[in-house]
Amino acid sequence: MSSYHLNRFLFDLKMHEQLFNKALANVNEAMNQYDLTPEEKDALAAGDPRKLRPLGAHGMLALYIMRLHPDFRTNVYWSQK
Amino acid sequence: MALSRGLAASHAPNILLEPGSEWEEFMQLHYSMAPQASSSRPSLESQKKLRADAEKAFAVLRSDLEASRPDVLIVVANDQFVNFFFNNIPTFFVTLAEEVKGQFTRHKFHYRNHKELGRTILEAGLEKGIDFSYGEYVELQHTQVVPLYFLLPEPKIPILPIYVNTWVDPIPTPRRCYQVGELIREVANAQRERIAILATGGLSHFPGSPRIGEIDTQFDHKLLEIMRGGKGRTLADYSLEQILQAGDSEFLNWMVVLGTVGDAKAASTFYMPDHVATGWGFASWKL
Repeated sequence: MSSYHLNRFLFDLKMHEQLFNKALANVNEAMNQYDLTPEEKDALAAGDPRKLRPLGAHGMLALYIMRLHPDFRTNVYWSQK
Repeated sequence: MALSRGLAASHAPNILLEPGSEWEEFMQLHYSMAPQASSSRPSLESQKKLRADAEKAFAVLRSDLEASRPDVLIVVANDQFVNFFFNNIPTFFVTLAEEVKGQFTRHKFHYRNHKELGRTILEAGLEKGIDFSYGEYVELQHTQVVPLYFLLPEPKIPILPIYVNTWVDPIPTPRRCYQVGELIREVANAQRERIAILATGGLSHFPGSPRIGEIDTQFDHKLLEIMRGGKGRTLADYSLEQILQAGDSEFLNWMVVLGTVGDAKAASTFYMPDHVATGWGFASWKL
């Protein structure tokens, strides 16, 4: 199972600073730009990558939700691709 | 014979991250997928030893590469959602750019791309029934630049990135990857230029999975033993399930190089599990 729009949101969170900054300011507004189900939105808002995989997120893309977590925003992981 | 050297090396980001705070941050992020695995995290001393051991392995591979006096280095690696996404996932991709660039933390990379060789491989594939995707722009990522940092720190020769989809289901079979390697050998041996080839990735690891932290060292040692014996051809008979169960999907990059080196025995191999995520593996073939 995979969800294109869920994965797209996660991909953009790492690759596009504009979306990252928008999500930092207001994650609900950022999510509304994507065709996400209520279940996907809830899982994204929870910020736990383990909740995203069962919904079809690729495992490595699921990790990208951590970029919004206050403890991980400056993690060295985001300075490499 | 224009093939000059075959190489394979892991591309785990923590090989190039600094032991200490950078390693800790890297581990912290990966363990958000599996907090139970964090109990096995290595000490600072272990991190430093791993880095030193990896540098020793890379030094041998770099010496082998330079001794073979290549004119170009083909780099077979997988994309990890940098150039390709679910709107278009190529199974095999040849880079036809003029140049390729990338950045890893504070390290910048910039190489000429050997697009003429890329086009020759692309056209030979079309002739022989292996239809590569291709494109004129890619961004380099850790899957290429981590090994290149150690093996080709100065852009003295052009590279040619070739991508294999090892990450997004469905992925190609070990046999098909071996056949791609055979095609590259056929093309390379018809060239006047001296051509080296490097596979990156692996060995066993489960990134983005609840199994992160597990490393199937037994399977990895078996792979390396088979390569030392010059029996890489037999690995084409492995099923994808065998490869995936061991967390070795990126070994498909190595399968391409095995097809290129054929029955040559790996002259040097090195292996060190990092106790975080990945079995770091290294191999070199004299051709």
